[in-house]
Amino acid sequence: MDPQEVDRISAQLTTVYGDSVKVGQDGQRRLVQIDKIELYPGCSPSHTAMLLVLDVAQPKPLVFVTPGQLLSNGRPPKNSSNILIAGQTWMQFSFNIPWSPGDNVIRFVAAARQRFAQNE
Amino acid sequence: MSRPLELRIPFRLGEVLQEHVYRQGSHEHVIFGLVSHSTRGNSTLLLLRDLIPLRESDYIPNAEHGASWRGSAMFPIMEAAMERGLGILIFHAHDHAGLPGLSRDDLQSADKLIPMFRKRVATRPHGTVVFSRTHASGLVWLPNSRKLEPLHRVRWFGSAIIDFDCTTKSNQESAISEVFARQALLLGKEGQAALNTSTVAIAGAGGGGSHVIQQLLYAGVGRIIVIDPDVYENSNRHRLVSAERKDLGCPKVDIFHRLARKIGLGGRVQRVRAAIPDSEAVQALLEADVIVGCVDTLFTRADLQEIASRYLIPYVDIGTTIRPLPDAAGGDPRVVVSGNVFSFIPGSFCMWCSGFLSDEKLKLEQNGPTRGYFEKNNQEAQVISFNGLVASQAVTEVFQLLTGFRGVGLSKADLEVPGNGVFRGYKKFDGVAGTLTEWGGARRSDCSHCRENLAAGDIIFSPVGQTNAA
Repeated sequence: MDPQEVDRISAQLTTVYGDSVKVGQDGQRRLVQIDKIELYPGCSPSHTAMLLVLDVAQPKPLVFVTPGQLLSNGRPPKNSSNILIAGQTWMQFSFNIPWSPGDNVIRFVAAARQRFAQNE
Repeated sequence: MSRPLELRIPFRLGEVLQEHVYRQGSHEHVIFGLVSHSTRGNSTLLLLRDLIPLRESDYIPNAEHGASWRGSAMFPIMEAAMERGLGILIFHAHDHAGLPGLSRDDLQSADKLIPMFRKRVATRPHGTVVFSRTHASGLVWLPNSRKLEPLHRVRWFGSAIIDFDCTTKSNQESAISEVFARQALLLGKEGQAALNTSTVAIAGAGGGGSHVIQQLLYAGVGRIIVIDPDVYENSNRHRLVSAERKDLGCPKVDIFHRLARKIGLGGRVQRVRAAIPDSEAVQALLEADVIVGCVDTLFTRADLQEIASRYLIPYVDIGTTIRPLPDAAGGDPRVVVSGNVFSFIPGSFCMWCSGFLSDEKLKLEQNGPTRGYFEKNNQEAQVISFNGLVASQAVTEVFQLLTGFRGVGLSKADLEVPGNGVFRGYKKFDGVAGTLTEWGGARRSDCSHCRENLAAGDIIFSPVGQTNAA
């Protein structure tokens, strides 16, 4: 994605999530953190922070949540593991949503959130 | 009570800084540092990322002041700080031994300049630091703080860790226990005292890590953080030193907690039953003076390297691989036993610079079957004597970092391998020949990991559209 796309995504997230969006820069990567995303009933905890990594070297945003997130069946998502991003631990999970330049990032976040409705 | 505040200065920048501030002339020499920071609980690290000196033409002749300079000289410094989102420290020196003091001029300059710096980058610390030849003093404004905080320590990285305290210690020589008297003949009384008060984190308490932990406990290291998520299993029994049969099924970290008590030389083991990069493990690593990595995978090494680079913590890594060669011709060796002892001195070359880590190798590891140190798989041989050899060398590297027993210095020459143009820190082990050879390495100017991670500290998150300014 190009730098304009990074700016557009950041702005779109702020428009929808307002004050709960914070942005940091790690080299060429922009890190956008949404402090609180409500998850599905039974998920533990019931909400999570979400990190979107917007990297000009990557074709689409990368999405992570707070480590330790469990599904409503009490298990972590399949193929999830912890990962270090800019010195902080985040949880990565299997997640495959198509992305094309200009796509709506809010739908992308909603799809990531939807992943936690699936008990696998 | 003020919070502990430490400034860390990587190799190479330290040499530049000292060369500049101790320069003799008609005025004191000032250099500006750009810093990131990291706050954990009640303590804050300041991490030096870059230096910007004043040019000689920037100084204004003024016999009444140590150094006066044109206000316009500050513009490029503040612009660089704003562009990179970093704090500004003003450095100068008083050329004597003992505790230096900030003069009235120094404090007046700080009063004038620090509010200007804060106005431009409110999210990072700013301050003023004066060095003597042995100590330092400083005052630092921290984000969200109302007053200037005193600096407690400056830590430089060269051939060893060199600390400049910001208080005078009592002259009383530290008494060395008879237990360590013969060790102190090599490490020195101060060196032994440094071991006793140091914290070393061991990532991975397996075949190599168990040797390292045991030796550090016997040597008198005060606090050892053992990080390992696993339990002791039958397949570990031939190589995990200090474990007993009754330990089967127990967390490995518990075995070493017990070992510390059994040895009884004052060393404590803090147990962290977690894997890298779990939050608990990462937080524990940040408390270490030195990290020793005894892990299996390159991914874990990449994480340890990032933490070490980002927060300026020396990192010693070990690993061995043993590969039988069943088809070897008669007379040829029937086995390859190879290994590394890699010491990362913050500011010197990293595992990425040396090619030990690369995106291609990580991709191979991720996609298997070559997960592990070199080409590890479940059938790889593990032999206690080879683990012990590289582990012993890792402990020697820790001794050097903490005590400087081989020599202490900040300059390039202090780390250079004579005649080779490379720096010490990468030893290759050949278990068949029985040799450990200094291979060395050099920092690559195009290493993106060094450029982005070295002294990067914590990421500062701000609301979208909000600049660094207050």
